Amino acid sequence: MATDSAISLKIRTALAEYLKRDPAMILITQHLRDDLGLDSMAVIELLYRIEETFDLQIPDQDLVGLTTVGHVVSYVEKRLGKTASPPPAMKPAKPSKSKSKRKS
Amino acid sequence: MRSRVVVTGLGIVSPIGIGVSNFWKAALAGHSGISAITSFDPFPMDGYRSKVAGQVCDFAVERFIDLAIGERVDRYAQFALVATKEALADSGLQMAKENPHRVGVIVGAGMGGMVMAEREITQLYQQQKPHRVHPNFIPVITLNSASGIIAMAYGAKGPNLTISTACSSSAHAIGQAFHCIREGRADVVITVGADASITPLVFAGFCSLRALSSRFNDQPEKASRPFDRLRDGFIMGEGAGTLILESAAHAKERKARVYAEIVGYAATSEAYHMVIPREDGLEVAHTMRLALADAGVTPAQVDYINAHATSTTIGDAVEVRAIRRLFKSRADKITISATKSLIGHTLGAAGAIGGIASVLALHTGQIHPTANYDDPDPACALAGLSRSAQERRVKVALLNAFGFGSNNAAVVLKQAPA
Repeated sequence: MATDSAISLKIRTALAEYLKRDPAMILITQHLRDDLGLDSMAVIELLYRIEETFDLQIPDQDLVGLTTVGHVVSYVEKRLGKTASPPPAMKPAKPSKSKSKRKS
Repeated sequence: MRSRVVVTGLGIVSPIGIGVSNFWKAALAGHSGISAITSFDPFPMDGYRSKVAGQVCDFAVERFIDLAIGERVDRYAQFALVATKEALADSGLQMAKENPHRVGVIVGAGMGGMVMAEREITQLYQQQKPHRVHPNFIPVITLNSASGIIAMAYGAKGPNLTISTACSSSAHAIGQAFHCIREGRADVVITVGADASITPLVFAGFCSLRALSSRFNDQPEKASRPFDRLRDGFIMGEGAGTLILESAAHAKERKARVYAEIVGYAATSEAYHMVIPREDGLEVAHTMRLALADAGVTPAQVDYINAHATSTTIGDAVEVRAIRRLFKSRADKITISATKSLIGHTLGAAGAIGGIASVLALHTGQIHPTANYDDPDPACALAGLSRSAQERRVKVALLNAFGFGSNNAAVVLKQAPA
């Protein structure tokens, strides 16, 4: 099972790969747009990767709050920490919680 | 007053070479860029009637351009970026010194971003996960992704257009860029043709259309043979060509080297059939006649034709019929070559690559061979065709391009003004 720090590391690694930077340079406090230079399209691409990494679906209404690295980390932690109600596009996801974690 | 329009830079990505000097050396030597298809691997080739294509092998985009740009677009647009980088460097144009609103980009593309399109469509239908469609799917497959990324890469803020008329796309791109500058709407137009769609679905589509050669699957270099008796269909190719077009005054002002002048263009429709040309060649002849009239040139002045010549049974015969109809007794005095005999049919790139071969014929006096013209078909034999490279001082050249959708284009080029 993924720990909190493992989630954070995975997200910062995904960001570092996307930005072609050293993961150590990606800080939890950084703003995705102002500090890391991600435009709105780049944020969407990043979240697409994160959805795959953690086998998640992030509904549109949740995008608004995700503006810093820390926001993304705590959002993913929250989503993995309890069974989120599935967005309408998902099939009735019976095993979502355990399966999600196993796959990540 | 109308501006004269000249060509000041060239760039190319082709199955016989990346870079104009590589391409031209290979073309004059008659090298074939046709090989057994490898790019579908692990998708099996067994079910395909045709198994060969003009592939740009071992293309690594990062060797040529910044990955931050290169990896965000599909293969055809990567080709377009690489060809454009070369052409701009060749032209000596420095964007920092230009008025960006006077520099346009016109791209001809037939198929567009099919590599990503096929991958994403396949995954969606197999996995039924719409949320896993890549966020860049739409921007990448949209047909103007190449003209957009080129403008962004160089800060070209002038007219930005994509022309899609299948196999004549980039001949029209040259024609439209020519008009754009002639009418004073831009000083420079980065003029491009690009396509890269040797993909399992597109290739199967052309196979099903019975448009591709299948007789020479075991001898790929023999498969593309325009005007030859044994021709049996075209060979799909991929690539890109870029020509920097600019007003003669602008080129003179910056003391640019001028390769050739663009002097005439015509665009017509046969309004006849989606994939079959009119057999009598009337409309093709009409198109060439219009382009010559636009140029103020008579048929008697034409020295060289870069033929559309795809190596299909009907298409080559119709083109020769049209040439005989228009040029009459002069038809056998004109030097002719078929660039597709070397690289296959690069679809949306074909007009630009044929345009580059025409510019180089005007500039160097050398005409590349028509490969595999071993046994001239009496239905389309012309004295000016040859399996060997030819030398001739070319003052006026004609570029033909015809596309599915009953579409015709012709462009007239002249030697650089003295």
